[in-house]
Amino acid sequence: MAEIAFTLNGREQRVDVEPDTPLLWVVREQFELTGTKFGCGKGLCGACTVHMDGYAIRSCSFPVSAAAGRDIRTIEGISPDITQLHPVQQVWLENSVPQCGYCQSGQIMAAVALLERNNNPSDEEINSAMSNICRCGTYPRIRTAVKQAASLVRQDGAVSIVDPVVTKAQEVSA
Amino acid sequence: MSLSRRDFFKRSAALGGGVAIGIHLTGCGGEPPYPGTTADELRPNAFLQVRPDGVVVFQLPRAEMGQGVYTGLTTLAAEELNLPATDIVVEHAYYHPDFRDPEFQMMMTGGSVSLRNNFTAIRQAGANLRELMRQAAAKQWGGGTDMLSVENGMVYNANGDSFSFAELVETARNLTPPEAAPLKSAEDFTQIGRDGVRLDALAKVTGTATFGIDCNLPGSKTAVMRRCPHLGGRVKSFDDSGAKAIKGVSAIFETNGGVAVVADGYWAARKAADALDIIWDKGPLAGLDEKGLRAHHTALLKEEGRNISEEGDAALATGERFEVTYQAPMLSHSPMEPPNALVNVVADRVEIWTGTQVPDTVIGVVAAALERPREQIVVHNQMLGGGFGRRLVPDYIVEAARISEKTGTPIKMVWSREDDIQHDYYRPAATTVMAATLDKGKVTSITAKTVVPSIMSQLMPMFAAASMPEWLPPAIPRSLGGLLKHVDSTMAEGISHTDYRFPYMKVDAVHDDTPIPVGFWRSVGHSQNAFFTESFIDELAHRVGEDPVAFRMQHMPTDSKRYGVLKMAAEKASWGQTEPGQYQGVAAHESFHTSVAQVVTASVENGAIRVHKVVCVVDCGLAVNPDVVKSQMESGIVFGLTAALKSGITLEDGRVMQSNFHDYPMLTLAETPEIEIHIMPSQEAPTGVGEPGLPPVAPALANAVFAATGQRLRDLPLKLA
Repeated sequence: MAEIAFTLNGREQRVDVEPDTPLLWVVREQFELTGTKFGCGKGLCGACTVHMDGYAIRSCSFPVSAAAGRDIRTIEGISPDITQLHPVQQVWLENSVPQCGYCQSGQIMAAVALLERNNNPSDEEINSAMSNICRCGTYPRIRTAVKQAASLVRQDGAVSIVDPVVTKAQEVSA
Repeated sequence: MSLSRRDFFKRSAALGGGVAIGIHLTGCGGEPPYPGTTADELRPNAFLQVRPDGVVVFQLPRAEMGQGVYTGLTTLAAEELNLPATDIVVEHAYYHPDFRDPEFQMMMTGGSVSLRNNFTAIRQAGANLRELMRQAAAKQWGGGTDMLSVENGMVYNANGDSFSFAELVETARNLTPPEAAPLKSAEDFTQIGRDGVRLDALAKVTGTATFGIDCNLPGSKTAVMRRCPHLGGRVKSFDDSGAKAIKGVSAIFETNGGVAVVADGYWAARKAADALDIIWDKGPLAGLDEKGLRAHHTALLKEEGRNISEEGDAALATGERFEVTYQAPMLSHSPMEPPNALVNVVADRVEIWTGTQVPDTVIGVVAAALERPREQIVVHNQMLGGGFGRRLVPDYIVEAARISEKTGTPIKMVWSREDDIQHDYYRPAATTVMAATLDKGKVTSITAKTVVPSIMSQLMPMFAAASMPEWLPPAIPRSLGGLLKHVDSTMAEGISHTDYRFPYMKVDAVHDDTPIPVGFWRSVGHSQNAFFTESFIDELAHRVGEDPVAFRMQHMPTDSKRYGVLKMAAEKASWGQTEPGQYQGVAAHESFHTSVAQVVTASVENGAIRVHKVVCVVDCGLAVNPDVVKSQMESGIVFGLTAALKSGITLEDGRVMQSNFHDYPMLTLAETPEIEIHIMPSQEAPTGVGEPGLPPVAPALANAVFAATGQRLRDLPLKLA
């Protein structure tokens, strides 16, 4: 076991785990942040995508020891709460992108990382940045949504806060 | 008091068409018949309840696995209640006989039946609640219901006075709920037929949607299994000395023919499992490889098989015979969320948190495996991270239940992707001979003989055979009993009973009685049979020198749904007009009562197939939520293109050679074509959309490849010579 310190969604955290434990399981089991998903365990599908220092990484095959001293952000950390969504989440909602939804945290994290670096990506740039697998086939909507999010980000010059449709179920569970 | 199962079926039968509306409570004491209802709530039927604060709760009787029932079925109730669907709280229903599908007679999600078989039932439940609230308001005002209207959770009278649902719950609870309140007519719909927001989207874009894998209990341990890599085999002996040394491991033991590792957290469990040294008994498939499988199918083709359909007069099959063989491989479902279950076995109760398409079967098999009464088994269903038929088989849940029983702790069983791909209930491999006779430029007959395992017969009592997994208890035929009548219908569906008309048509099926585990894979038999049929029809069109669209239209009734979608697809895709270097292929297929036609535009560049565009027309009756219909067509197309271009499970020595997404690859965003969906306007009752978008895409693509190269590819996945 080893004590490892890193920043998680803006807060300093320490955790005592085996250093080879993938970051994914530390996030899900030690910190109980379950928005980040387990899909393949080999960095092939991207369901586990989180940010390290603003770059998308695949946390299922990333040892937690390599996160020491780094800034880690998960899907839970990109918007303050469900009524204040990141523009990527907002366009995802408006386009009804998710189907089963399991891969979507990873897809959104990949898109956010792309747009933070490039607010006007070409189709080819979208192709190479959005390599996460979606078994439901939401790809056409992901492409549309990434372009719309890019446009939103360009207009506002920064991450903006917008009003989503909040369902009754969400109010109750929030 | 709850209705007995017999009463329920009697009631269902009396309603005709097999539609069961929510059965009202009789108001007698004792246990609440609907799980999850508190004493101060109004629960006039299985589907709907009103909380004391006036909030309407919809009990979702089907699993949400991406196909949109969470939104679509809620919309049905919302429409009749005149309440926005976004104002309704949706809960995953606990098992109750009232939630059984009237066709399959079990609580399940599959066969694209959710909307078709609930369209009237859930609207009726909503209408009955609406009427009950009017009656409650009338009673409180001391008058009749004539001038009372229900809107947004309020009941209004002619003077503009109102009661909220909260103010009416107490009165309503003491009234007898109406059973056949009038339904709204289609022209009054304000939600059905509109692009409503997906009710589960917000949770799914914020990472707050709860899937089975996200559930946890205090004190739970994680379990992983090593299963015999040779299908149907089992552990002979194992050495756990290395595994036991891994920190956090609490138990290692043999169960279900494999070895279970129980530990604190996934990583410790996985590392320990990897460190196990196991000697396997390879079981009944040892030595079987692709060559053997194909030779076995070739041999079976010589058998007569069973006749599935025969139309016309065999004497009319004149002229020259043309015969070709098509093949489709085994496929894995590979939902993005690997199989998992959290199970807590205690003295008098077994609680299960998981994503399943079959709560009914889960209860049956777990009860049998643990030798407990069904009543002790509670299934807390969750969002499914994809189903596609994989979650119709609850093997992983039984594993978790047995491990929890043995360890006395809550067990979180998590499969790896390797476990998933190598231990699936696969789409069966099929080999089909398609034949026709051609006389003076006319096709005089089409006949087909398909060799394929029977999914139904395998998932029935055969499950108990020694070569099959040990988790299968003999009681399974009881819970699957309602499915028995469908035995074998999956084998030739989509080859037989098509809309095509030729002077003579005949379809035979030969049962490949294999121990390879097979299961229901999205669109089931149609997934391979549409490829065989629609490719072969295309071959015949070219043989007689006809345009593939025109040839199809000549040979099907002009009033069929398939004709309609084909005609519209050809128009929308500007059939016959393409960019230089691009080629079109077409296919039209009906499955699960829904007709879909697709025109694929593709090219061949540097020896590789590239798909540019898919134009899709669907006739699914009334589209309850057109945007969900479109997303399901997109979904079926991508799933089908993955199978057409990429996927195949192959065997060596009886073991699956693929293990993860590097060797069982999926279509990516970069490879996804432009997809254009058109919905045929219709006022017919809705039919399913979860599966029918898939079958036509492989043949449409193969037909485009033929147009581009002259190569007729008769094996899936498509590989250019």
